[in-house]
Amino acid sequence: MGLNVIDAKMLSKMFLAGAKNLEHKKEWINELNVFPVPDGDTGTNMSMTIMSAAKEVAAIENPDMISLAKAISSGSLRGARGNSGVILSQLFRGFTKVIREYDEINVAILASACDKAVETAYKAVMKPKEGTILTVAKGAAKRANDLAMAGERDLEKFISEVIKEAEVVLAQTPDMLPVLKQAGVVDSGGQGLVEVLKGGLDAFLGKELDLSIETAPKTISAEKGAMSSNIEAQANAEIKFCYCTQFLIMLNKTFNIKQEMDFKEYLSSIGDSIVVVADDEIVKVHVHTNDPGLAMQKALRYGALTTIIIENMRLERDEKVSDMMEKQMQSPELPSSISPDADSDAPAAEHKDTGFIAVSIGEGMNEIFRSLGVDYIIEGGQTMNPSTEDMLNAIEKINADNIFIFPNNKNIILAANQAKQLTKDKKIIVIPTKTVPQGITAIINYVPDISIEENEAVMTEEVQRVATGQVTYAVRDTMIDDKEIHQGDFMGIGDKGILSVGKDLQTVAFDMILEMMSEEYELISIYYGDIIKEEQAQKLADMVKAQFSSCDVELQFGGQPIYSYIVSAE
Amino acid sequence: MSKIAIVTDSNSGITQTEAKELGIHVLPMPFMIDGETYYEEITLSQDEFYKRLAQNADISTSQPSPESVMQLWDGLLKEYDEIVHIPMSSGLSGSCQTASMLAQDYDGKVHVVNNQRISVTQKRSVYDAIELVRTGKNGSEIKSVLEVDKFNSSIYIMIDTLYYLKKGGRITPAAAALGTLLRLKPVLQIQGEKLDAFAKARTVNQAKSIMINAIKSDIEKRFGGISPENQMYLAIAHTQNEEAAKEFKDEVQEQFPDYSVVAVDPLSLSVSCHIGPGSLAVTCCKKLN
Repeated sequence: MGLNVIDAKMLSKMFLAGAKNLEHKKEWINELNVFPVPDGDTGTNMSMTIMSAAKEVAAIENPDMISLAKAISSGSLRGARGNSGVILSQLFRGFTKVIREYDEINVAILASACDKAVETAYKAVMKPKEGTILTVAKGAAKRANDLAMAGERDLEKFISEVIKEAEVVLAQTPDMLPVLKQAGVVDSGGQGLVEVLKGGLDAFLGKELDLSIETAPKTISAEKGAMSSNIEAQANAEIKFCYCTQFLIMLNKTFNIKQEMDFKEYLSSIGDSIVVVADDEIVKVHVHTNDPGLAMQKALRYGALTTIIIENMRLERDEKVSDMMEKQMQSPELPSSISPDADSDAPAAEHKDTGFIAVSIGEGMNEIFRSLGVDYIIEGGQTMNPSTEDMLNAIEKINADNIFIFPNNKNIILAANQAKQLTKDKKIIVIPTKTVPQGITAIINYVPDISIEENEAVMTEEVQRVATGQVTYAVRDTMIDDKEIHQGDFMGIGDKGILSVGKDLQTVAFDMILEMMSEEYELISIYYGDIIKEEQAQKLADMVKAQFSSCDVELQFGGQPIYSYIVSAE
Repeated sequence: MSKIAIVTDSNSGITQTEAKELGIHVLPMPFMIDGETYYEEITLSQDEFYKRLAQNADISTSQPSPESVMQLWDGLLKEYDEIVHIPMSSGLSGSCQTASMLAQDYDGKVHVVNNQRISVTQKRSVYDAIELVRTGKNGSEIKSVLEVDKFNSSIYIMIDTLYYLKKGGRITPAAAALGTLLRLKPVLQIQGEKLDAFAKARTVNQAKSIMINAIKSDIEKRFGGISPENQMYLAIAHTQNEEAAKEFKDEVQEQFPDYSVVAVDPLSLSVSCHIGPGSLAVTCCKKLN
């Protein structure tokens, strides 16, 4: 005799269990990466995405279906990072659109929620690829519907069957994507989804689980932003507004743009550092002000308030500064500043027409972007995919009507696009740059005298002309593109796959460049990483120069971790 | 009909020989090189100039002395009734202002044209002026025709190195944005007023395509569209970069089948001393109706 319905309390438990299970398995999922690179990140990205939602779920005291749906949907949306994370957040968004209409859910409702989830996720991806998390979700949803049609009502059986099917489809992913087959792995995103479902089932079955989730007010991304700003500036900064005030408004009815603008304008009259993120039902508010009461009074007009956090920043400042210094000492490889100068947090940043945000990592790379006019650098890249919220924070900090974003990694483009959709008061242009050199070329091609649209077209076109190669080391044995790779080998990875493999870094880098080159290229840029000595890099540059005498060869310090060399040809 | 003399300065790129053939008069621009005064084309050849530039000599430009201007005018007015004086852009030099001031003492006989041209586009104005004299226009009519037309031209210049630009300092603040860690090929523009930053490129080919697109866009948006009926004068200019300039001419010609690329000229030295050798430029002037 099984249960036929799930209530909000149970679903909340199941969701937290799913999140926990994914969190536990993240390292293992990271290793399912096709490329045996040291910074495989699918597990981390998905886990950070779902944990952001889990924190909001855990913060609800007596969940009903509506509040739970909101927490899952908006929490994951904002925490989304990486392609798989963004897709996961879209699955949740679709799923919760259906369930929020009910107090209790049964097999039929679950089946229809699964359908909506898949539909929503497919829509979010421009060119859906089969053999990925999408396929696994689609397979599971189809099974769910078949079962519902067949009259299955027992939820235990239903959920188990759906998960079984998801695992079957997951096992088939190598047959759909040859790269998976050769690497001998299943799709990591699909695996992540299965882990979430399994965790949920365990909770449903009443297994003993530790569901404690930290409900600390600061998300990881916010912490990251704070950490990277200049410590000294923090210490010396005069705190103009004393209370850091954060809360959520549960909207009575949907926030229209006018209301949002009015609300923001009001907040800026009483404080600074304003973040207002709205979706259909909730608005997340963050403001530094001397009178939190005023902000809340105003917000009450739009709906009920929840998750109210008010901190006195003056009292916290001293503690924070010493805290931050400690953190920076512990991670010397992730140095300085996100923001190009300490003043960029200042509320009175001069208004301009156009601003630029780039995702970049490495002292040298960051410096190059700054010298090219980038206003705000989000520290990250392959090693650390920034979330949609990181993007929103950056957008908030730039006082400009138009903002170009250079994601500089194919795994970050979706999060940038999601941020674009959540931004109402500024025009956001995401140039889909997949590598750092593409980002550099894109911003070089910016012309102040022509329109935003023309610039977008020119940059997007020029980016296509840049070939990129990156050298890193393998973290496990594998087989890709018919190349045998051993743990510890160096690999040269090009735009379309592995170009060279070997034991000697310089040879691998050189061979990679040979593979990348074609006649039309005139300039080869070599950006060397944090552990490479200049003399060593210079030797590579000399070899390249000798080989391609008609090309200019430019050597730059990039300072990026993990990738010894990043090379571009254009 | 009054007899009209046309005067310009050596920024127009018109040589003394060519001036004689055209029946016009060219004031040589003075250059101070390591404290000594030289006159463009008279005592200072292009080759000599670039040699001194490469030797890191201290080079500065100056305007023709009022004395030399008045001497020329006084001589010409013995033979002619009126003078049309076409100096380099008032945005780049005080020559125009000085000449205008001097002209006040000439009872309306000297018409100083303030049409903000330089180099190849200034040369085009001189040719236009010659044509206008032929059609019987008087001095003040010519001045007004040329001034109405003043913004119907543009110049884009790709420079090879930022070195001279930084050293010179006559550049607008926008050019400061060009300072960067990367080696770039900046593209500058002259729209009458000043030498200004336009865009950046990483390679020569990128810079060329930026310049060609910029000219295309100017013709489309500012000069009335690309069509055989709307004639443009296109020209190539360079600083000590003739081979590449000739190649560039063919490439530009291919992109603009409706127009002929009329010339490949060295840029005037007053521009060269700010941007150094190795540059390429494309210029466009709308044909006078």
